[in-house]
Amino acid sequence: MVAPLLSTALRGARGGRSFGTAAVLWKRAAPLGPMPNEDVDVGNLEALQRYRSFARYLRQAERAGREPCWWNTYRKHTDPPAEPQADIGLPRERLSRAKELKERKRILRENHRNAEMERAARLRTVLIPLDEVRAEWERTSGPFHKQRVAKHCGVFRDLFKGAAFTPWVALRVQYSQEDEHLVPVYYGNMVTPSEASSPPAVSYEADKGSLWTLLLTNPDGHLREADSEYLHWLVTNIPGSDIQAGKEMCHYLPPFPAMGTGYHRFIFLLFKQQGPIDFSQDARPAPCYSLKMRTFSTFDFYRKHKDAMTPAGLAFFQCQWDNSVTSTFHQLLNMREPVFEFVRPPPYHPPQVKFPRHQPLRYLDRYRDTQEPTYGIY
Amino acid sequence: MGLNPEQWVTCLSVRFASTTASLKTETEVDTSENEVVAPNFTNRNPRNLEQMALARKERGWKTTWPKREFWHRLRLERTQHYVEAFVERSNGDVVVSASTREWAIKRHLYSPKGVAACRNLGRVMAQRCLEAGINFVDFKAIIPWERRCDSIQEFEKGVKEGGVVLHEPRRIYR
Repeated sequence: MVAPLLSTALRGARGGRSFGTAAVLWKRAAPLGPMPNEDVDVGNLEALQRYRSFARYLRQAERAGREPCWWNTYRKHTDPPAEPQADIGLPRERLSRAKELKERKRILRENHRNAEMERAARLRTVLIPLDEVRAEWERTSGPFHKQRVAKHCGVFRDLFKGAAFTPWVALRVQYSQEDEHLVPVYYGNMVTPSEASSPPAVSYEADKGSLWTLLLTNPDGHLREADSEYLHWLVTNIPGSDIQAGKEMCHYLPPFPAMGTGYHRFIFLLFKQQGPIDFSQDARPAPCYSLKMRTFSTFDFYRKHKDAMTPAGLAFFQCQWDNSVTSTFHQLLNMREPVFEFVRPPPYHPPQVKFPRHQPLRYLDRYRDTQEPTYGIY
Repeated sequence: MGLNPEQWVTCLSVRFASTTASLKTETEVDTSENEVVAPNFTNRNPRNLEQMALARKERGWKTTWPKREFWHRLRLERTQHYVEAFVERSNGDVVVSASTREWAIKRHLYSPKGVAACRNLGRVMAQRCLEAGINFVDFKAIIPWERRCDSIQEFEKGVKEGGVVLHEPRRIYR
């Protein structure tokens, strides 16, 4: 499509009918950055290295697609620009890297000398022990992976307004059922409200004499305001890893995601305290079934105590409605159960035009206030 | 707040399931305000809509390959020295990843590349996906003639044995 002359376009805009061309270049200017493939020497194509396989080309193309670029893309339009995140977690303890590397190299050299491992790898029978791999993963790259998943589930955005932390302390939360079956809580798995009806067994590695705070919050379930959370459990001044010895500021309330609202996140936060803290302002009365008292904001809570404690552990699960939620509403919260229905956002239609071009008769149905379809009635 | 309206579950009608609850006299003063519920409920969970199969998948990109019609995609990258697997969203953000570059996996393998490594990487990846709550994953980003090769088939077997389903459910339109 030939771009019209600048003068013709200006004449159209000033006077009578305007131009309807899609790409009217009002002003020609230099590109804002380097054009792609600018560094390819087109004169000497024989000297270029070829891909020789589609897999190599695809890997290169995917990598290039992820790089930042100066022109507008759909991705930039939909995703908000990443803001620099404040780190509110504990500082990383870096052990001696040289010794660690030496140890690892030694183990790898032993593996290479091991004839049985070589045979198992050649015959493809090797099956690595998954629990040992998970234990080692929790020590090495686990915190980073957990932080990444939490960021994608919007935990930092909703609880701390963007400030993130790396959960260095591995928090193990397990709900025990009647038949000795254990339902663990990892970073995002599904747990039903009937499985989560009693307080879970929480364990983590802690030095003797250290004080911790455990918090269970639901940022999605608030029935009145969209921005606040419900506090389900708050235990403070926990010595070591003994939850029973800590002071329970707010007793455990089982999850109650309302029917029709979908999946709610229930987030366990473990804070490391520098010393004993007075939480009397956050204390709730012993059986607290009032939703107004349970309304909570982790951001304000953390801001109040941020000098004395830092977030160290994180675990969360996704929870959907089931029958035990009805009994929670009726017996514990003493209210009628709310039931919701999903409402889709209305479909977008461009502004109505008096003489639409190449549109079917149901074009008029899209703009009528009442529901009188002209299609499918015969 | 700049949230895409599709991200919320904006609910309208509130029907109260009618049953009488047992009244507790001492907490009656506390819980009397519980009944006040806003008519519109907003769920901020970004994973809610895709877990309910109501979120949009990017249906365009029909002239290019691989397509972006998924919520989570499993991508396997086999390089000369390592094998890596990523579960990512359609906008490119990696959610869960596993690679033979990690010490936890590398120490148990004789070689970080090859069929045995792919098989074990599949098992580890399935475990991590289930822990992160990702049960359905799209595995179409494999080149068709490479899908037959042993390492990718072993990887697929490892992931399936771990319990992750390799095709995503269809979105609910109505």
